Amino acid sequence: MQSGSSRSIAHIALFAALVAVLGLIPKIDLPFGVPVTAQTLGVMLAGCLLGPKRAFLAMLLVLGGVALGLPLLSGGRGGIGVFASPTAGYLLAWPFGALVAGAVMGLLPGPVWARAFAASAAGGIGVIHLSGIVGLTLLARMEPTQAALADLAFVPGDLIKCALVAALAQSVARGLPDWNLHRA
Amino acid sequence: MHSFYLERPGWLHRVPAGVKLAGLSLAGTALFMTADQALLGAAALAVAALYLSLGREAGRALGAFRGLAVALLLILLFHALVGSWRDGAVTALRLGSLSALGMALTLTTRFDDLLSVAETLLRPLKLFGLPAERMALAFGLMLRFIETFFAQWQRLDEAHRARSGRAGGWRLLAPLAIQALAAADRAAEALSARLGR
Repeated sequence: MQSGSSRSIAHIALFAALVAVLGLIPKIDLPFGVPVTAQTLGVMLAGCLLGPKRAFLAMLLVLGGVALGLPLLSGGRGGIGVFASPTAGYLLAWPFGALVAGAVMGLLPGPVWARAFAASAAGGIGVIHLSGIVGLTLLARMEPTQAALADLAFVPGDLIKCALVAALAQSVARGLPDWNLHRA
Repeated sequence: MHSFYLERPGWLHRVPAGVKLAGLSLAGTALFMTADQALLGAAALAVAALYLSLGREAGRALGAFRGLAVALLLILLFHALVGSWRDGAVTALRLGSLSALGMALTLTTRFDDLLSVAETLLRPLKLFGLPAERMALAFGLMLRFIETFFAQWQRLDEAHRARSGRAGGWRLLAPLAIQALAAADRAAEALSARLGR
């Protein structure tokens, strides 16, 4: 399936929209009462359900919209200025996090939920947090160890998101059996 | 979805989008090339003057800076705690000025104008197989889907409240995802029927 086909474009736009909607929804309290912005959940989900290439393009579409001034980020943030904020490293990693999640999802064997959990952890936590730490070091001039320590506070919440994505991918596999969960 | 664009035109509205974008990237480069407090302070003052020249309407947009202000304060505090307040001031002035400049572009430029600039800039990417000319279609679809899914979420939430008396929260994510995927497939069918590919 070519990335330029209209079916692909619909799916890319769909997951871009899903990320934006996850930012619009007031605030989701995950189990155990952890409040998080659910938007990186959308990044993980795109990787798991779309495959690496289209998930990458979907996140590029979101960031493109943000850069052009659409208020797509949680709390109605948007505009090219957000890429100069101290936490821009996290944001810029979305396409790559989705890409890695998609690749891991496609390569791993095993049941859907286990693959989705591993993919979300690799892409949604590994890639995004690493880039976020680099961003904090470069943009906020923090020491790498200090930045990593500050970052660590957000890992538990993101692990819960990974579990949620695993459950979601499993229920999509059940609810929409036609949806191929590892097509590239 | 509300837009940041200021309807009442000021002088910055009349500057072409491409010129503003070039100015922004030049300013960004300059801000990152210097670590001199006095220069960065002057830059911050210049940005503040720019906002004053945009008129009272620009004041409304200040709410968008709340999150950034908190983050910059935390960084300032953090650097002060480890004893390098100078680093903190440099970082806060630089990131604050640049973010505010970016917001000024967003406030005074229409989405369509920026999109056409972006399409021109991205045209060379066609060599790598990125369909730049379908960008407008993708943006349009995304905006349409956002409205649809937000409405769908509200319907699901109301239904959940009617059954349980509580907000649905994360329990609604699975039905939303499934409905969204099904909707995208229907939209894709319609689209390929119209475009013939």
